[in-house]
Amino acid sequence: MNYLKIYSLNLYSYVLFAIYSAVCIPLLVLFVAFMSIFLGRRRTMKLYRRAIAWWSRGILLLPFPFVKVRYENNSGDTTGEPYIFVCNHRSFSDGFLMAVLPVEGVQVVNIWPFRIPVIGFFARKSGYLNIRMMQTEEFFDKAAELLRDNVSIIFFPEGTRSGSRKMGNFHSSAFRLALKSQAPIVPLCISGSENIPPKGSLLLRPGTIRIRRLRAITWSEYNGWSVVTLKNRVREIIGNELALMEQGA
Amino acid sequence: MNEQEIIDITNRVFEESFEIEKDRLKPDAHIFTDLGLDSLDVVDLVAALQKSFGVNIRNEEKVRNIRTLKDIYDFISAIKKEGH
Repeated sequence: MNYLKIYSLNLYSYVLFAIYSAVCIPLLVLFVAFMSIFLGRRRTMKLYRRAIAWWSRGILLLPFPFVKVRYENNSGDTTGEPYIFVCNHRSFSDGFLMAVLPVEGVQVVNIWPFRIPVIGFFARKSGYLNIRMMQTEEFFDKAAELLRDNVSIIFFPEGTRSGSRKMGNFHSSAFRLALKSQAPIVPLCISGSENIPPKGSLLLRPGTIRIRRLRAITWSEYNGWSVVTLKNRVREIIGNELALMEQGA
Repeated sequence: MNEQEIIDITNRVFEESFEIEKDRLKPDAHIFTDLGLDSLDVVDLVAALQKSFGVNIRNEEKVRNIRTLKDIYDFISAIKKEGH
């Protein structure tokens, strides 16, 4: 696709994005604010999480058919929520991709999403976690409380976007939480998002993003493993699956 | 304890506690960017080093300045010389 088409795709997508968000976000805020009169704190937070999912679903549809998103569930899971999702991280769009997972979940995010006016508002209201803005113990306590409350936690253990197909080192917090909480860990692989948009740019390139959910690793399997063993095994599983996906499997 | 023993024991800590292959354990390897540790792992690293060397380093201010494997070798060497 030549640059004229790429710029046209971006103009089309971002104009739609602006219009869609300008209409959708105030409606969602008003809806949740109104419903919160009748709901308790717990159910209001759930509604904010759903609002993020509804908005994100629309965002992901806007650049269609130039950008396609395909979910592949290879998990065959029967373990039930809550899960600790562990996902590779290549692009800004990964946060939207995780927001539409069919579970009630919160993401562990960097500081900057909290500073974006609208996204930050929803992230705070939904109870998104930031390990850098919290004391370590406070982070684990809050995360464990969410899991007990049947809310899944979504981690990008690389800590930052890799910006390429090369996966970075994994931080250990997701795996420490797993060992403390005994929750099942679900490896997730995102392939194709590295150019949608590339790190350091907002220019969307056409392509297909594939998200593949793998089988959960349960406490009965990882019980007795060290943090490092668990981290390395999950990283290896994601790395191997990404290699298969990028060969077209 | 000579310097080679300190290097060998430290490297063994990284191999056994962090599953890091021997060929990655170069003196100038950065413990965060090259070896993949994070701030939470440092607590485990300190505990493993204390156990392996029989020293108390939990309250050492200099731990915060450690960046590379060589920094650890030098740090342990200095502690041993001070007779901790």
